[in-house]
Amino acid sequence: MTKLEAIIQPSRFEAVKEVLTELGVEGMTIFDVRGHGRQKGHTEVYRGREYTVDLVPKIKIEMVLADNLVNAAVDAIVQSAGTGKIGDGKIFLSKVDEAIRIRNQERGAAAL
Amino acid sequence: MPVLANSSVTQDAYQKESDNIRERFEQTHDGQAAVRERSNLIDSLIRELWTQTSAAAAGAEKFCVAALGGYGRRSLFPYSDIDVLFLHETALSEAAQKQTIPRICQALWDRHLRVSPTTRSLAECGKLHRDNLELNISLLDSRYLCGDEELFEQLHARVIPKMVAREALELQQRLTDLTSARHNKYGHTIFHLEPNIKDYPGGLRDYQVACWLSLISELEKTGVWPAPENLLPNAFRQECGAALEFLSAVRCFLHYRQGRDLNGLTYELQSEAAAAGIGIPDGVPLAPAAWMRTYFRHVRSIYRLTVLFDEVPPARSGLYRLFENRKSRLSNADFSVVEGRVFLRQLASVQDPSVLFALFEFIGRHGLKLTAETERCVEAALPSLRQWAQESREVWPYFRRILVSPYAGAALRAMHRLGVLVVLFPEFQAVDSLVIRDYYHRYTVDEHSFVAIENVHALRTPDSELERRFRDILDGIERPDLLFLAILLHDVGKGMQADDHVAGSLEASAGVLDRLGLDPAEGETVTFLIAKHLRMSATTRRQNIFDPKVVEEFSETVGTTERLKMLTLLTYTDVKSVNPEALTPWKAEMLWQLYAAAFNHLSRTVDDQRLTASNANSERIREVVAAAGEIDAKHITSFLEGFPKRYLLMHDAGEVVTHCEMYDRLKLKDDEPQIDILRRGGYFELVLLTLDCPGLFAHVVGTLSSWGMNILKAEAFSNKAGVVLDTIRFSDRFRTLELNPTEVTRLRRNLAEAVSGEINVVELMEAKFKPASQGPKVKIEPSVQTDNEYSQHSTLIEIIAEDRPGLLYDISSTMAELGCNIEVAIIDTQGQTATDVFHVTCAGTKLDREHQKKIQAALLEQL
Repeated sequence: MTKLEAIIQPSRFEAVKEVLTELGVEGMTIFDVRGHGRQKGHTEVYRGREYTVDLVPKIKIEMVLADNLVNAAVDAIVQSAGTGKIGDGKIFLSKVDEAIRIRNQERGAAAL
Repeated sequence: MPVLANSSVTQDAYQKESDNIRERFEQTHDGQAAVRERSNLIDSLIRELWTQTSAAAAGAEKFCVAALGGYGRRSLFPYSDIDVLFLHETALSEAAQKQTIPRICQALWDRHLRVSPTTRSLAECGKLHRDNLELNISLLDSRYLCGDEELFEQLHARVIPKMVAREALELQQRLTDLTSARHNKYGHTIFHLEPNIKDYPGGLRDYQVACWLSLISELEKTGVWPAPENLLPNAFRQECGAALEFLSAVRCFLHYRQGRDLNGLTYELQSEAAAAGIGIPDGVPLAPAAWMRTYFRHVRSIYRLTVLFDEVPPARSGLYRLFENRKSRLSNADFSVVEGRVFLRQLASVQDPSVLFALFEFIGRHGLKLTAETERCVEAALPSLRQWAQESREVWPYFRRILVSPYAGAALRAMHRLGVLVVLFPEFQAVDSLVIRDYYHRYTVDEHSFVAIENVHALRTPDSELERRFRDILDGIERPDLLFLAILLHDVGKGMQADDHVAGSLEASAGVLDRLGLDPAEGETVTFLIAKHLRMSATTRRQNIFDPKVVEEFSETVGTTERLKMLTLLTYTDVKSVNPEALTPWKAEMLWQLYAAAFNHLSRTVDDQRLTASNANSERIREVVAAAGEIDAKHITSFLEGFPKRYLLMHDAGEVVTHCEMYDRLKLKDDEPQIDILRRGGYFELVLLTLDCPGLFAHVVGTLSSWGMNILKAEAFSNKAGVVLDTIRFSDRFRTLELNPTEVTRLRRNLAEAVSGEINVVELMEAKFKPASQGPKVKIEPSVQTDNEYSQHSTLIEIIAEDRPGLLYDISSTMAELGCNIEVAIIDTQGQTATDVFHVTCAGTKLDREHQKKIQAALLEQL
């Protein structure tokens, strides 16, 4: 099993969710987050006052997938979240040792 | 082996009758019958047990059993506690202590009944138990079951009435304090996604509190027990009776479904209850949203009873009372205020609509409550209000004052509760208690609109930096009344048979705006806000708000900074008022960033967004042509050509036609400046149409300043033909024009002389200008930004400074001295901050870097 964490543009979230659902991803956790990568944010002036937009709003999607779904999920996210511009986001993958469904104590991929 | 196994009311017999009661309930959904039958069943059981145990114990003392609380009222829900009193006169015998009471309780527990026994002497029942008020209250519902009947009669006829007569005030005060604490715990609102039908505001507990308060009051006054059916005042009896019937059925349903005394109406159980038609006449199944609408209507009826709780004089701290009593000073010729509640001095006075509106404005201004009597008078005035509203065009002037008052939400809620709002706006009935059932919308649609209005007013006392930013936007809105009207109407379409609710809201609001008699520009603003109320949140959600193209496209939809401010606040409050957690700091930040980006775009690109022959065929221009009557359409388009697009968005068709007529006179009278000074509410507006000349703007604002006028807002535009249109809004600091109307003519003449150069404005300022006598309360750091990127042919100068009389003259004369020609000016004042945007040129081109620095330094010196 693999944990997939994707940081994406808020405006791409609906599209990403749609393709993941089509792919058969059954569950995901969504967070409203703020952060920056290499783009570092920028400074805006509003009514004479400067304010720094150093943390840009993003959406973080977290899900744990059976290993056979991982590549397809990554491709789907890259396709649907990418605009080719700085700030499109990132995907992180990590191995998961175990998953347990609390309701019936199922384990492994069956618990996903 | 269970105690009393040989009871004739055996386990099986009890279970069988319980099952019968349940079965009858499943068939009829008659909750009140079920709780009555269940009380009777337990009565039989206890009497049977009493007969067996007292015979076994052979006790001959004065001793009896009584039912208390809900059981005493014959309102025993399937899994509710069974409150039983073992009443004795003298010390209990060992037989009673060790045999009768334990055996009865044990036998009930063996039948899985939750018995809460209490053993008290007559003397104990006659005392006020400050640490156990529940006992005193439960005695109010006591009912004889078995044992010494004479002893119970002493309790009922003598001891309780005496205790109540002695302690009535404290009992009432403690009861209302407990209720208030309970309401506080549940947010003082009936609106919860998964309400507890017993304890939450508007639940069964509130109904009972109202009955107890009335009972205490009657017992105190007469010493006689009133009939249970006469406890509530007539005005509430029918609606609350229906609500009690509904909630009783729902509570029985909840108990039976869950097999426990659980009263939470969860999302899933709402669906089940709706499908079973619980509480609905003839058990007709309803959609969950429609069933919850019925639920909210009933609960609202019970929540109205809280007006009776307010009649109890509060037992609160001296400080609180002092605060409440201070409100008494608000009393006026029409209303008197006592303990934070409004009484009518003349009960029939609200038959006069002006007094009725004044009453709600009074509520809106001071956050007061109405008394039950005042509410009854308002309801009695509805027929005459209905007739008046059909004929009158005066609703809007009254209603707008309510909308802008700080407690408008409370006033509107009271108006809706008493039927006033629907008399004025029948369209609002469509969303009365309308539920949007998606586990996200906490409030019904009508309540959402009131909460949304409250949330905008709450920005006046911001809790965070983000809220402070939105507060600043609110401070800059010129017509908050229009914003509040749009908020009130924006979701009315949800109750209509329209495919999308925005179309429905627009259709409904068209009728409202027509009846209110708003002028076209006002109506257009409200219509725009309703039409676009989803646009901004959709943009933040679905588009990249840091993409300049997205900002540009959004800004063009909005058109002006004034509309942008209103749309931002409507969006802010629309999201925030879905549920208390809906507007996360993340969403608020996104909204703010889109606002700031769009604001900058609109204010900085105004010079490039101009009307041309090719884009002059807009709907607005067609409206202007239609309003123009005899004026030739070509003539109008030639007047408009070259003005910023903003011009058409800021002025309605009638104003544009007037400007066009001034343009004609300008040409007819050899370019003589055309000047109009209009009084608009609390300020004046100068409209000047003339040929452009160096320093023109400085001459005009200088003349106004020398007359003591304070400039609040201004716009200066020019068209392709070199004709300048200045619109300047100013306040009359020394009331010169107000007290001497003929001075308007002299000011007009003075302005004409200043424009044509016949008088020297510099000398005029030196001779007549009077600076402000008081310094500012808050220091505003001045800033001057210049930019050559935003326009193709002019330099943007953006100035933020502390507002003061004469500021605009200092700025514009400095620019004139340094050879700048003002192409476009947008002057705004927000509290003590002046925000001025100029697009300037020098000899027809942008300012070079050196020139910009010089201007910046010179302006900063002035500021």
